[in-house]
Amino acid sequence: MPALHELQRRFAAAVLDGDDGGFERHIRAAGLSGERRLQVYRNNSRLGLTGALEAVYPVVRRLVGEGFFRYAAAEYIARHPSRSGDLHEYGGLLPEFLESFEPAAGLAYLPDVARLEWSYHQVFHAARHAPLDPMVLASVPAARQGDLRFRLHPAARLLESFFPILRIWRSNQEDSGDATPVDLAEGGVKLLVFRPESLDIEFQPLEDGEFHLLRALSEGCAFAAACERAMAAQPDFDLPARFGGHVARGVVTAFDLPDSPFSNH
Amino acid sequence: MSAKPATSRLGPGSIPVRAGIGLRAEHYDAVLETRPPVGWLEVHSENYFGAGGKPLDYLERIRVHYPLSLHGVGLSIGSTDPLDKLHLAKLKHLIERFEPALVSEHLSWGSVGGRYLNDLLPLPYTREALYHLVARVSQVQDMLGRQILIENVSSYLQFVESALSEWDFLAELAERAGCGVLLDVNNIYVSARNHGFDPSAYLRAIPRHAVQEIHLAGFTVNRFEDGEILIDTHNQPVCPAVWALYRQAVQRFGPTPTLIEWDTDLPELAVLVKEAHRADAILEERHARAA
Repeated sequence: MPALHELQRRFAAAVLDGDDGGFERHIRAAGLSGERRLQVYRNNSRLGLTGALEAVYPVVRRLVGEGFFRYAAAEYIARHPSRSGDLHEYGGLLPEFLESFEPAAGLAYLPDVARLEWSYHQVFHAARHAPLDPMVLASVPAARQGDLRFRLHPAARLLESFFPILRIWRSNQEDSGDATPVDLAEGGVKLLVFRPESLDIEFQPLEDGEFHLLRALSEGCAFAAACERAMAAQPDFDLPARFGGHVARGVVTAFDLPDSPFSNH
Repeated sequence: MSAKPATSRLGPGSIPVRAGIGLRAEHYDAVLETRPPVGWLEVHSENYFGAGGKPLDYLERIRVHYPLSLHGVGLSIGSTDPLDKLHLAKLKHLIERFEPALVSEHLSWGSVGGRYLNDLLPLPYTREALYHLVARVSQVQDMLGRQILIENVSSYLQFVESALSEWDFLAELAERAGCGVLLDVNNIYVSARNHGFDPSAYLRAIPRHAVQEIHLAGFTVNRFEDGEILIDTHNQPVCPAVWALYRQAVQRFGPTPTLIEWDTDLPELAVLVKEAHRADAILEERHARAA
C-alpha cells in the first residue's frame, strides 16, 4: 500500500496536471467513474484559483472578457501553481505572465493595468503606520539632513506606464460614470497608489520630479541623492513643497539617520 | 495603530448555544448598521491574514458586538508537507488580537511538495493517516496554545486504501489528539449521498462530548447519465433533508452552537438571519424538551 505522501502526490498530480495514470486505481469503484469524481476536484481547484485571480484583477477581466480571462487564468495556473494556503497571496506574477502570453500580445497596456491592480491589492492589505512627527524631523541638524534615509508607508506603491492606465482603470469601474473613450496614445502616467488613514485607497498622478524622489527614497537612497535624482528628472520641480506634502499626507512615514540617535519608525 | 483594540474588553467568552452566521465582506456594512439578532459570527481566518486595511478594521468594529469563531480553510493540516509556520504564526496573531471563542480547521489536506490546490481534499482513512493527523493536530494545538475543532469535509471520492470509516477516524482523532469536533451536517449528508452510507450511523459514531459546533449549508446536485454527485457549494438554503438530519444531530449532541454558511451567490443578510432563526427554533425545541 502506498504511503500517505505518495497517495497525496498522485492525487495532486491527477488534479493539477491531469496525470491520472497513477491515481484512478486508488479510487473506490462505486457508481460514478473515478474520472468524474476527479473532475470535481479539478473544477474546485481551478474555480478557486480563478476566483482568486478574478478578485484581484477585475479590470483586466473586464478588458479581455470573461472567456478570455478564464483561458488565460488556466494557463497561468498551470505555469504558476499556488504556493500558499492563503489565496490572497496568489496571482502576483500575472503582470509578467501577460507580457509573454502570446494571445494577449495585441493588448500592450494589459500588463501595466495588471500591475496597477496588484498594487491596489497589496495596498489594500498592507499594514498601518503612524505619520512622521514633523518635530522629530525638525530636530535633525541641518548639516545631516542630506544623510536621512526616509521610508514610504507600507500602503504606498509607485507605478510608471507608457499607457494611460489610471484612466483605463477608472473608466472600467462598475460605477464609473466616465464614458469618454480612453485614447491609448494620450500619454503615460507616473502614479502613487496610497491608502491613507481613512483606508480608502487613492491614486495620485505624480510629476516627474516627485515620482523620482519617492522612488529613490523607496529604494533606500539618502535624501541628498534622492533630491539630485528628482531635480535631474525635472529641473523646475518644487521639491520642498512636494516633499512636505507627502510627509503631511503620511506617504513618507519614517526615517533613519546612520550613526546617530535620530530615527523615527 | 489604535491604542488598544476594543475587543480586549470582551475577552474570549464562549459561543452561545444559538445559531450564528458566516460573516462575509459583502455584509460588513449591513451587519454594522443593522446588528442582526444572531448569536455569533464566524469568519474564514485567512481573510484576515493581511497586515492591515479594511478587513481587519471591519472585524475589529464588528467583534465588539458579537462572539467570534475563526474557521481556517488553508492550513492543510492533513498534508505530509511540513506545517506552514508562517501561516500558523498569522493565525496565532489573529487569535491574540480577536480572542475567538472557537478556532477550527478541516479534516483534509490541500498541498503536497509545496504546491497548493487551495481545496479541501479527503484523506485515506488508514492507521498511518490517523497517526499523522493526531501528531499534526497536537502540534497545531501546542503552537496555538489552545484546543482546536476539526471539521468533516464533503468528499467526492473514497480511497481503496481506507480501512476505517470517516466517522471512526474522526472520533478516534478527537479522542487521541484532544481536539473538538465541528460537525458539518451538510457535509455528512453530501458525502453519505455520494458514497452511499447511512448519515445517522455517522452521527451515532461521534462521541457526544466531542461536538462543540455544527455547520449547516446548501449544496448543488450535478447530474450525469451514469449518476449524480452532490457538491458542497454553500450557495443556497439548507435543504429539508439536511434540516431533518440536523434535528437528529441536536437530539444526539444536545443544543450546540450552529452556523449557517453561505459563500457563493451570497443573498442579502436577512436571508442568512432567517436561516439562523430556523436553526434557533430547532435548538429551542430541544432546550424545551430538556427542561
